[in-house]
Amino acid sequence: MRDLSEQALSPVLVVVLNDPADLARAREQGWYRIPLDRAPRRIAAEYLAFYQTGAFPPGERWSVRWIASVRGYHIATRRELIPAEPDHPRADDRYYRVELGALEPLPHAIPSRWLRRITFIPTTLTRLLGAVEINDLWIKSTAQERLWAALKQADVEAERQYPLREDLPEYVADFALICRQGKVAVIVDDESREEDELREAPPPDYLLTAGDWIAMHVSCASLSADPGGWTARLIDLATALDGVLPVTGSPVR
Amino acid sequence: MRLGFVVKPLVRPELKSHDSRRWQNHPHLSVSLAYLRDVFAYLGEAQISMYRMSSDLAPYVTHPEMPEFHGQVAECAAELAEIGRQARQLGLRLSFHPAQHVVLNSPDDALAGKSAGDLNTLAALLDGMELGPEAVVVTHLGGVYGDREAALARFATNFEHLAEITQRRLALEHDDTRFGVADIMWVHARTGIRLVFDNLHHRLYNPGDRTPREALAACLATWPAGVWPKVHFSSPRTEWLVETAGADEAPQVRRTRWAYHADYVNPFEFIDFLRMAQGLRAFDIMLEVRAKDLALQQLREDLSRFAPDLAETLMG
Repeated sequence: MRDLSEQALSPVLVVVLNDPADLARAREQGWYRIPLDRAPRRIAAEYLAFYQTGAFPPGERWSVRWIASVRGYHIATRRELIPAEPDHPRADDRYYRVELGALEPLPHAIPSRWLRRITFIPTTLTRLLGAVEINDLWIKSTAQERLWAALKQADVEAERQYPLREDLPEYVADFALICRQGKVAVIVDDESREEDELREAPPPDYLLTAGDWIAMHVSCASLSADPGGWTARLIDLATALDGVLPVTGSPVR
Repeated sequence: MRLGFVVKPLVRPELKSHDSRRWQNHPHLSVSLAYLRDVFAYLGEAQISMYRMSSDLAPYVTHPEMPEFHGQVAECAAELAEIGRQARQLGLRLSFHPAQHVVLNSPDDALAGKSAGDLNTLAALLDGMELGPEAVVVTHLGGVYGDREAALARFATNFEHLAEITQRRLALEHDDTRFGVADIMWVHARTGIRLVFDNLHHRLYNPGDRTPREALAACLATWPAGVWPKVHFSSPRTEWLVETAGADEAPQVRRTRWAYHADYVNPFEFIDFLRMAQGLRAFDIMLEVRAKDLALQQLREDLSRFAPDLAETLMG
């Protein structure tokens, strides 16, 4: 494997593979597709990394294992990309065909501890190569990064950017604790005033209450000033809810 | 009136302006256009409707020893059309301002030819995006080379030899040491090229003693009816600059040059400038300051506070 660390700050887009055929296509034909009309805010990167979902065999699923350099983004219809399926309902839809270099294995796989679903994650090569698990990939405000570091130091198994409801992926808890007797959602209310200026709006309260979430609202300033204190509060809350659930090996829905 | 900023968004530092990889890593215009797409999404959300794109969107595209990069513009016809569609949808005014190595009036035919090639490429990118006539490539006159009149004439002659699409897209800006507003007006009279006024350059180099209002009005008048002119605005950097010396030498305070751009726009200079321009033809303003979109946001707030009547004229 080349020395990827030379391009430490290179942007990486972690994409989701729901079908082993897509990984085979990336490896053998050198491309991956992103639909134009459903593309995330950020698509441009020097590398794509591939998150393999439950559609992959045991030992490969729920993890990032491969990376490929990006050579180009070209627009094509699905019919042009996959001529064998000319009558597909989306045959006329347009896609970015992301041209790729050779797939390279990461030095170590990056698993999702909770076997969860994710969407695209923009990150950097530094983060990718240093990540122990999926939650290490997100790059958020300084305040969130401090809390994340404090939670990890305290061995609190939190999840980041956790969807509050599967059918509304744009509404996420910045941190989630899945406990035996309940679920805690940490919402950083004024996140938009820090680096991540244009984040989606915080989730509305009805989503939190309807989903039986216990909401903990916090400001960036408060988080930055006292990440250890907030970690202690979260540990207390998790303890009151009979502790964080151990990883079961079943996908989290 | 629109306010724009230059190339690299600082509010969103994770957004790149173009594919800056070296040739060994296979950079490509299509990757730059994907970065641009992400930048445009930010511009739309931040309600910024004027933006100067990186002149390095198409890496190595005119490099004489790398023919494998020469076909990028043609290879990206669909992607250029799509990014242009997004720009029009957002009401974005776009431009290029190539670096100092583009010298159309060079007496060195090879350099002048290379410069023409670079300008042709940038014009082709704007045409590929199907942008209107407000989207321009702004360049400077170039060097004096010991003979001002010959240098001016050479620019005019070389302009006439440019491709039609490049002539149509090119705009000319005066500079701070060599060629003033009178010089670019001379070129305009012979070529019809549109002129871009720069407030700081005019303060620094104004041999004809034209008032800023006279010089601005003259530049604005070179733009066709129905096409909004654009001007450049910056404040001079006033901070002292310390040069770090070797381990055994004391740091030196460098003499300032007023041509250095400040981090932010001095709002009071800006307000005075707009008041001075009242009654003239309306124009857009590209902010050439180091804090880029941070400065643009700050200026909006400053105008709302110190000159709300002028703030109301801002678009986007």
